[in-house]
Amino acid sequence: MAEVKILTEHYHDDNYRTVDGYLAKNGYEMLKKALKMQPTEIITLVKDAGLRGRGGAGFPTGMKWSFLPNNGEERYLLCNADEGEPCTFKDRMMMERAPHQLIEGMIISAFAVQSKKSYIYIRGEYFYAADVLRKAIKEAYDKGFLGKNILGSGFSHDLDVYCGAGAYICGEETGMISSLEGLKGQPKLKPPFPAVKGYLAKPTVVNNVETLASVIYILRDGVQEYRKNGTEKSPGTKLFSVSGDVMKPGNYEVPLGYPLKDLIEKECGGLKPGRKLKAVIPGGTSAPVLTAEEAYKATMDYECLANMKSMLGSGAITIIDDTRCMVDLLGVITHFYHHESCGQCTPCREGTGWLNKIVRSIHAGNATVNDIDTLCKVADNMKGRTICALSDAAALPVLSFVPKFRSEFEYYIREGKSQVRGISYAQMHH
Amino acid sequence: MLKCTINGKHVEVKEGTTVIQAFKMLGEEIAHYCWHPALSVAGVCRLCMVEIEGNPRLQIACNTAVTEGMVVTNKSEKVKDAVKWGLDFHLINHPLDCPICDQAGECGLQDQYMKFGKYDPEMAEKKVNKHKAVDLGERVVLDSERCILCSRCVRFTEEISKTNELGIFNRGDRSEIGTFEDKPMTDKYSVNTVDICPVGALTSKDFRFKQRVWFLKDRPSVCPGCSTGCNVDVYYNREGFWRVKPRYNPNVNDYWMCDEGRDTYKYQNKFDTVVVGHRGEKEVMKNVNRVINPMHITGGHAEMMDVQFLLQKISEKLGASKPADVALVVTGQSTNEELSAIVSFFASKFDKKNIYHWQNEPEKWNEFDGLLMRGDKNPNTKGLLKVLEQNGVQAQLWKPSLTAGKLTIVVAPENHSAYKDFSAMVKWAGSGQSTIWLGPGLHEDMGMQGEWWVIPGKTTFEKKGSFENFNGHVQSFEPVTTVIDAAVSADEFVTLLKGANFLEIHKIYRNPVERVENQFIFERGEM
Repeated sequence: MAEVKILTEHYHDDNYRTVDGYLAKNGYEMLKKALKMQPTEIITLVKDAGLRGRGGAGFPTGMKWSFLPNNGEERYLLCNADEGEPCTFKDRMMMERAPHQLIEGMIISAFAVQSKKSYIYIRGEYFYAADVLRKAIKEAYDKGFLGKNILGSGFSHDLDVYCGAGAYICGEETGMISSLEGLKGQPKLKPPFPAVKGYLAKPTVVNNVETLASVIYILRDGVQEYRKNGTEKSPGTKLFSVSGDVMKPGNYEVPLGYPLKDLIEKECGGLKPGRKLKAVIPGGTSAPVLTAEEAYKATMDYECLANMKSMLGSGAITIIDDTRCMVDLLGVITHFYHHESCGQCTPCREGTGWLNKIVRSIHAGNATVNDIDTLCKVADNMKGRTICALSDAAALPVLSFVPKFRSEFEYYIREGKSQVRGISYAQMHH
Repeated sequence: MLKCTINGKHVEVKEGTTVIQAFKMLGEEIAHYCWHPALSVAGVCRLCMVEIEGNPRLQIACNTAVTEGMVVTNKSEKVKDAVKWGLDFHLINHPLDCPICDQAGECGLQDQYMKFGKYDPEMAEKKVNKHKAVDLGERVVLDSERCILCSRCVRFTEEISKTNELGIFNRGDRSEIGTFEDKPMTDKYSVNTVDICPVGALTSKDFRFKQRVWFLKDRPSVCPGCSTGCNVDVYYNREGFWRVKPRYNPNVNDYWMCDEGRDTYKYQNKFDTVVVGHRGEKEVMKNVNRVINPMHITGGHAEMMDVQFLLQKISEKLGASKPADVALVVTGQSTNEELSAIVSFFASKFDKKNIYHWQNEPEKWNEFDGLLMRGDKNPNTKGLLKVLEQNGVQAQLWKPSLTAGKLTIVVAPENHSAYKDFSAMVKWAGSGQSTIWLGPGLHEDMGMQGEWWVIPGKTTFEKKGSFENFNGHVQSFEPVTTVIDAAVSADEFVTLLKGANFLEIHKIYRNPVERVENQFIFERGEM
């Protein structure tokens, strides 16, 4: 097996980001096909294809769409392009290289859920991608793919880009909705779920960039063909953003269920010479870390990683080799979640800060061995106690780093320096 | 109706009821900070955790609706552990400055800690520092470090007073409550945020550092501030009244009351305590606020008298007067019982035409701010009009253009500040021959002209009686405590005129407690 380029087939072509270049590669053909179908047909197709959300949770997309109530209320489709999960950079490439792919996918999806208005909520730092998207949307309007009565089908749709302000929490779907409504970016209580009461209290679907783009290829290839890639429960291909200590980091599109070992050694050219694999974070920093042993056994699909008590998440794979100190890395992660907690729920607001402070005191040499247990206890009690999953995201790395690399933490506390690097935090950073 | 089981007790609830409401209905204990029955659900304190049969994850009771056959408990070890940790997360950055905190004694954190906590803290790190003693406006002070960010106050200004003045600024454990651009709060209901604040983050400028709450007692009463008649709890000790808090009544004021109504205890106290001077050289001045002794004043010279003796004199005076020479002035600040006693007494002896109604800005009476405050600053205007009607009296408006009677009985309003024309009318009353003044408050012009009989009146919190509010809701109340020993209400005044013994009335209406000037010394003894 090797890379299977479905989404990324034409990404090498610089012209692909313009409407002409996109049309030259049979772009917007599937839109024409979709507009002739019944909306429910498309939903059934997506359901049968088993497409799962590519943003992190892996929730079946077709199912999400069918949750919308049939009460005649206005519906909204939101594209989540916030991509805040550390080490993820697949959506950025998709939007920069193939904006029309996303736009086409969104119009098809909007048609399927019968939404007249959709927004792309894009991460604040993605200036260039937002620029590319805005240009592409203008082109699509000019060509009649957006606006009133699209291609004479009677279906009208408007699309807009909305830039976030750089908060991680706005990648959570209800946080994103709050932000889009002009409120403080804080997740909302569920129930009601966005499918019932979302943006402006109207039924709303929120999907990731990659999910929406994938809809085109389900339509193009049909269910049978689409399911040829991937596993029974995780069909299709997925983009993985590989970063860290490999020779060729980058975005790779492989079928789900692809062995992690192959991805590291074949696609990414293996580790740097003389280095050994120590750990892998398989789904963005909020996913529990895998040890080298586990990583070599893992296949990149939702089920296998769930069995290993980790998760596929956004598909951001961070490779950690034996020169990295896990105590330092955990410090980076806890600092991030402390900085990004929205502060709504008490366990997360106080807990993320507490975790970070304990790790910092380990770095500073002020901690005792008991603090390791406190660290785990705090993380354990933050898990599953809040409105959104940020608290879990902050707790899970702690609950995997500490038990799996406990000796490194104990060494750090005992000796006041890193076991791997042989120097203290202060020496390393000054 | 849905059937569910809560902590082993079976209960039937209406559809749409949340689990926490079901707990409250049964009187089951459940910890919570952010949930408030009158506000929207925020679900952020994460303390009202419950275990629902068939659900492996603990759920928050405030955002979970009861379903048919639901079996819920919060007595399991799992829930207890979650609540303990929930409390721990609340406390790790809390300054724990209870000894100097004004909320101590009525603090949610203290209560929960005594119920669920009682353990040593595991937090060994430095606490987060935030702003202390932030001035939020005329009446409220914020201590951000004590704040647990339950967002009740924010939701109050959003949903109830609708001024949207408060917000949570910043993110994570740097979050703080504040007003936009640090503008002072102008909310007319701002002290409600102090009431609903479960901790000592928001404190009332008026009450803070005055008394420890465990030295105060509270009794229910009705606010005399306006015709809404909010139900209140009055906190008092033997020195007098210290604060007024709203008492829940869904038919009148729900959980709230206005800031103006909270000041009504001030004029009812014996002394008006004023702090004069700047920092470092502050001096506490005690201005006498009330008529303390019955007085007979002529030409600016006051003669203190025993109430029984004074009444005897008045009785003689009234008996010697021609019915047409005596006038009665009443206001909507007296209770129904007082009014019917005095009006029927007057009607039976004197001329009904000489009954006057003293009104404060009647053109504003129909004003309403949409929540509680009404333009009619009399708690019992409706009751007064009914009493007058029952006695067949067509009361005239009392104003200076009328000729002053030879003898005017004024049942004065207790809340002077609501009567813009108070000074003018006191002067006016003096221009007649003689005035019998029954009222709790003092005024410098009293007795400057003419002959005055001043009888200390009782205030609302000292009275037993009833008020009829703007929409005909009659609310009766009992005395909270007595501040002025010699004070009599108008109905007692009539009883006394009819020949009753003051000491008899004293027995009936007073609670025989010894009052002291300094409660602290009284409790602790001289040091």
